[in-house]
Amino acid sequence: MEKKLSEYLSLAKNINISKNEKKIKVGILGSFTLNGLDECLKVKCSEQNIDYESYIGNYNQYNQEILNSESGLYKFEPDITFLIIDNRTILGDLFHNPYSVSDKKRREIVDEKFGEIKNLIEIFQEKLNKKLVICNFHIPYFSSIGIIENKSDFGFHEMINELNKKLVNFVKVKNSIFIFDYNQFVVKHGEKNIFNYKQFFLGDIKIAFDYIPFFANDLIGYIKPILGLNKKCIVLDLDNTLWGGIVGEDGFDGIELGHSSNGKAFVEFQKQLLSLWQQGIILAINSKNNLDDAIKVIKEHPDMILREKHFASIKINWNDKAQNLVDISEEINIGFNSMVFFDDDKLNQERIRNEFPEVLTIDLPKDPSQYTEILTDLNDFNVLQNTEEDSKRGEMYAQQRQRNQFKETVSNLEQFLNQLEIKVKIKKSNEFTIPRISQLTLKTNQFNLTTRRYQEEDIKKFVNDDNYLVGCAQVTDKFGDNGITGAFIVKKENNIWTLDTFLLSCRVMGRGVEDAILSHIIDDAKRNNVKEVKAEFIHTAKNKPAENFLKDFGFIKQENYWNYKLNNDVEYPNHLEMEVE
Amino acid sequence: MSKEVYGIVAKVFSISESDVNDSSSPENIESWDSFNGLILVDELESHYNIKFTISEITNVKNVADIKKHLKNHNVELNE
Repeated sequence: MEKKLSEYLSLAKNINISKNEKKIKVGILGSFTLNGLDECLKVKCSEQNIDYESYIGNYNQYNQEILNSESGLYKFEPDITFLIIDNRTILGDLFHNPYSVSDKKRREIVDEKFGEIKNLIEIFQEKLNKKLVICNFHIPYFSSIGIIENKSDFGFHEMINELNKKLVNFVKVKNSIFIFDYNQFVVKHGEKNIFNYKQFFLGDIKIAFDYIPFFANDLIGYIKPILGLNKKCIVLDLDNTLWGGIVGEDGFDGIELGHSSNGKAFVEFQKQLLSLWQQGIILAINSKNNLDDAIKVIKEHPDMILREKHFASIKINWNDKAQNLVDISEEINIGFNSMVFFDDDKLNQERIRNEFPEVLTIDLPKDPSQYTEILTDLNDFNVLQNTEEDSKRGEMYAQQRQRNQFKETVSNLEQFLNQLEIKVKIKKSNEFTIPRISQLTLKTNQFNLTTRRYQEEDIKKFVNDDNYLVGCAQVTDKFGDNGITGAFIVKKENNIWTLDTFLLSCRVMGRGVEDAILSHIIDDAKRNNVKEVKAEFIHTAKNKPAENFLKDFGFIKQENYWNYKLNNDVEYPNHLEMEVE
Repeated sequence: MSKEVYGIVAKVFSISESDVNDSSSPENIESWDSFNGLILVDELESHYNIKFTISEITNVKNVADIKKHLKNHNVELNE
């Protein structure tokens, strides 16, 4: 349940900037009264342990704030700016009498209005290299020509639609500019709720007080992924969560799934989970059950949507649920702060909430008809960019589970590696791989020699610089494609190559892939008659797995750097196949 | 139920209930600005399940006026 605006106003008074690790600076520019939005954002950030600072542009001064390079907005330098312009402001008189001019003129006006906004976006980008979110425009239900509105040429509704389309197309290729679908926001809550004429006349309020908290909640959906607070994994109970009833008691044929009204609710919930899985959200099971009973349902029940292959980790046993969660976290290498926990049992919810407050434990009600809405209302799964690896993640983790099962069937590591049929493909940096290389530098903590974090813009700079060599590695094996899981940046200076960055995703660690990539770099260096290859190891709290890598590979420490003698023959691990693009 | 109105006023303006009386107004309550005034309207409307007219809202000069308008909407204030 969302709190009332008045509650946010009083809660906000008691929040002081503390020493939270996560900080965000937010700019708000609006064309109408948005009092209370600041307080809502402040409270919601504080609930996520984020220090929130803001700059609120003066009422309807968004043009001045963006056009004037000395403006308060630019002085404040927000990490993210929300530009909130409403349909009445942008259309002016035409909002009420669009049909006073010809359809040709209406088209011209839309072009002109789009031009104004485009100009604002371009100037903003020129002056501030930070994120900007622009609201699109709501299409009101009313039209003066009523039921034949959509028969008119380029009518009122089409005008706004066209403006929105132009905006979306313009912004699509700009990776630091986003469109908040304000039209959908109004659709979700209803125009008659959002737009309250009385509040509009009294104070030029265009989002009614009751809905400011909901609006703030949607905007927080942009802040969470900037700070890496997005959730990556949903941990699910089975009985009364993925199906109705208890399979151990009601039996395979007795559980509610499909057909009955409750059964349909569980199917719908599963379909929604599947659509998140397809976007890269990892699913896992944490259930107290007889493994055989539960697995039979997952494998064979005709109405089951989620199957074994969709789960990266399956813990069906009689262990403590908190212990299972630890095991899941270790198995798929994901922190508790990236997890969401769905379980219908209040005691289990309590147990996880107490043990792991950083897990988002859902207060799941008894009635399964509410499950889907609870899931779709979460604003925790947003990402600001989606790489190919993201959308295949669910699949990759399921393959990983098969790999681990396979590992248990072979007697030793060597045999395991030999039978895994690993292929390492060294790829060049290009428009397709640059976002992923950046993402790897931002996210990889364990096997990372230097832990240098680079945004996409930084990687592009290296790629265009002849003194740098940027590459990455795609790893596949008999269970599937791991995607691009390794990356390196080499600095070339005076015939010396230095590893600025060398990292490997934990997903493929310990299979000789790291040796293969480094061998490739050294081979390349020899071919280029390089005098010396140098590397650094910068110790962090998390990169212990990479600690002995350089030494084991044959590097020798000399003061702050590790050196490799290039007169040695380059050896590749013989259990894997190499390919260079 | 005067007390109830005072409570709502006190909460909206973040002041102590004992500081609220019929003559409380934007003149003597610092946080009573136009925005908080509208928040007060919203709180009273949802609490008593009524809708004030715009003239009622713009004519309010103090808490006594609020009580008068509430009575017009048949809210019983048992004083």
